[in-house]
Amino acid sequence: MQAGRISVPDPQPDKSGASPRRAKGIVSSRGLIGSPVLRRLAAGSALLAAAVAVLAVIAASIGPYSIPPSHTIDVLLDQFGLAESQASNTEQAIIQTIRLPRIALAIIVGAALGVAGAIMQGLFRNPMADPGIIGVSTGGALGAVAAIAVGAQAAFSLALPAMAFAGAGGALALVYAVASAGGRFSMAALLLAGVAVSAFIAAIISAIVLFTENRDAQREMIFWLAGGLDASRWNEVRLAGPLVLGGVAAAVLLSRDLNLLMVSEEEARALGVRVGLTRNVLLVAASLITGTAVAFSGTIAFVGLVVPHALRLVTGADHRVLVPLSALGGALFLLAADTAARVLIAPAEVRVGIITAFAGAPFFLFLLIRNKSRASLL
Amino acid sequence: MSAAQPGKAPVLAARNLCVKLGRATVLQSVSFEARPGELAGLIGPNGAGKSTLLRALAGLLDADTGSVRFGQTELSRVPARERARSISFMPQREATHPFTALETVLMGRYPHLGRFELEGINDRRIAREEMRKTRTDGFENRQMDTLSGGEKQRVMLARTIAQQAQVMLLDEPTASLDLKYRLEMMELLRSETARGKLAVVAALHDLSLAARYCDRLTLMSRGAIAAEGPPAEALTPENLRTAFGIEAIIEPDPVTGRPQVSLLGPSDPQSGANRQKDVRVHLICGAGSGRDLMRQLVSAGYAVTAGVLGLGDTDRETAEILGVPFVPAPPFSPIEDAQHERHLALVRSADIAALCSMAVGPNNLRNLKAAHSAKQLVIIEGPPFQELDYTDGAATALRSRLAERWPVEQGSQLLRRLARELTPEP
Repeated sequence: MQAGRISVPDPQPDKSGASPRRAKGIVSSRGLIGSPVLRRLAAGSALLAAAVAVLAVIAASIGPYSIPPSHTIDVLLDQFGLAESQASNTEQAIIQTIRLPRIALAIIVGAALGVAGAIMQGLFRNPMADPGIIGVSTGGALGAVAAIAVGAQAAFSLALPAMAFAGAGGALALVYAVASAGGRFSMAALLLAGVAVSAFIAAIISAIVLFTENRDAQREMIFWLAGGLDASRWNEVRLAGPLVLGGVAAAVLLSRDLNLLMVSEEEARALGVRVGLTRNVLLVAASLITGTAVAFSGTIAFVGLVVPHALRLVTGADHRVLVPLSALGGALFLLAADTAARVLIAPAEVRVGIITAFAGAPFFLFLLIRNKSRASLL
Repeated sequence: MSAAQPGKAPVLAARNLCVKLGRATVLQSVSFEARPGELAGLIGPNGAGKSTLLRALAGLLDADTGSVRFGQTELSRVPARERARSISFMPQREATHPFTALETVLMGRYPHLGRFELEGINDRRIAREEMRKTRTDGFENRQMDTLSGGEKQRVMLARTIAQQAQVMLLDEPTASLDLKYRLEMMELLRSETARGKLAVVAALHDLSLAARYCDRLTLMSRGAIAAEGPPAEALTPENLRTAFGIEAIIEPDPVTGRPQVSLLGPSDPQSGANRQKDVRVHLICGAGSGRDLMRQLVSAGYAVTAGVLGLGDTDRETAEILGVPFVPAPPFSPIEDAQHERHLALVRSADIAALCSMAVGPNNLRNLKAAHSAKQLVIIEGPPFQELDYTDGAATALRSRLAERWPVEQGSQLLRRLARELTPEP
């Protein structure tokens, strides 16, 4: 101790402490070169983004009408005005009006579920949390099933996503109100209320599905509950895109605060986080993007659970890395699952929710067994 | 207390804080100051309100009444991030998150970063520096939930120092540490404080450790401050009895000179009774001169008897509370023959008698005479006996004859000697 104390260069820490608001720019940008956070973020993003791009080209090429990947790339570059397309008009039409919007929606929904999962796992300090943990997904599903039951789509083409979105919002409001009853908000109460409300809504959904006499409507409900991206058009992409982008941006902005919230609320507060506000913004952001995902693609299981969980094992727990990478990882996972859903039993389709659960659940169990020896579940 | 360090204005000051949690009052009208360059210790039993006071000082808890001021400003008006740059807080709760040790320490730098800024070279240098000082640099890439309790605690301490605040509030920062790290971390806190700018307030359980390193101790009991001052003033047998319900002897440590606390046992005579020792000690005392020693002996398990005690004598009240047999006498009257005979019987049958530093007048002169019949006697040190002699020298003469034969020593020395002689050689 004595030696350690004497060799401490006294003035240095004081100098930096004296000006807490350091001159930004020079100091920090120089410091960033060695920043492990930036390094991991850059490497992970580059890798995952490249994988998403490659997979997008593959996904756009394969299907009942096969298109050579070189033509696909041409069409994609043409889309952004970067090259003249050599592809035939049919090829262009298939890619632009059928496959591309579906790929775009898979990326948007996958990113939404990945980020929502990362937020929920951080907020609840629990790696078992998924985007639907507070009942938002089941709320959305209720809205959608109700829309199908009353035939609302006949009146308004976006009635289903609109009602699903409303259902998700209603579930969040209800669960949040229960958790803040008595003036003191508690995350534990939020979790429990979410579980109870989910179970309650699930029972209503089952009842609606069972008591629907119209066979077609019933089949549509079951289809929708299994989750799928087959109804994707550019309209859906245009609506879902900005909503998900907004939610993801909020999560990225608050990712450093989410780190502290994951440590403990008290420490977060002591380290300058406005805990109530930050937590509420994150809850709303996660619910917004989960609700959007549910509204446009039904309930898709395991993406939000597995993606952040698996990434955390590789990149560590820092949400400044984990949140952006969960967006890319979720996009990659859902795009892969949807492509598999399209081609596995072509010309018929498997529902993508079945694929994600089929691939995600065993992978999750594998992670669980591999890490069981560790002190914590994370 | 402020008179002790007139030069330094408090950086953080609580005034008449009252905090209720549910129906329970956790703090009642507590005032406390943290001053730059001072290492202040909060001591007190479980539930005394130490953690609550620290949280209130950290701005993490709203008081029902009273205020906390940071410099000239009301603490609740200071924006959260600004507050986090000025006041750091280390909770007692053990970390259970998956961040690595280095990531955890770097969190101490978050309040210093802009919204989009990442930790830079300077932040990492500070983090590594504090990890080196807290001996946590050996496992900087291990996840917190894989570390031992003591390792976690040192990482937390590193983070708290890396926050570079003006005030550090620490809730039991050494609770999980082994003896070596306990000393090292307290040394570290001392050296950080000694530079003069930092104020540290630490809740501590280890009283001797607190007395050794803190400039000032605040003893809390039942949500209020029971005593405050330099360690030697705050730590007294009486204060510890009131606050903790324990009997202790407090002596200067032979090496550091700081008060050293030796615990004897719980004050409650019932809990002391079940480890009764087979040694009888007789106390010749009166007017409170034997009170501490009587409690200490009883709680250490000795069979204690006491000399002739008049009605209303404070030592007699203590004896009654503790169930110590004594020879009763009416108030303010000379000891009669029958009483003296009974007293002599107690003195003779005791293995050792202790003559306390009591005032002697004509009424109780016979108590002093009875001391001559003891098999073994110890004279307990006190103020010069001349000041206690109200018999025109008769008592002084008696006592001088006793002092020729028997040792004059402190109560704590008697207890130590008794303990040594009782412990069989292995």
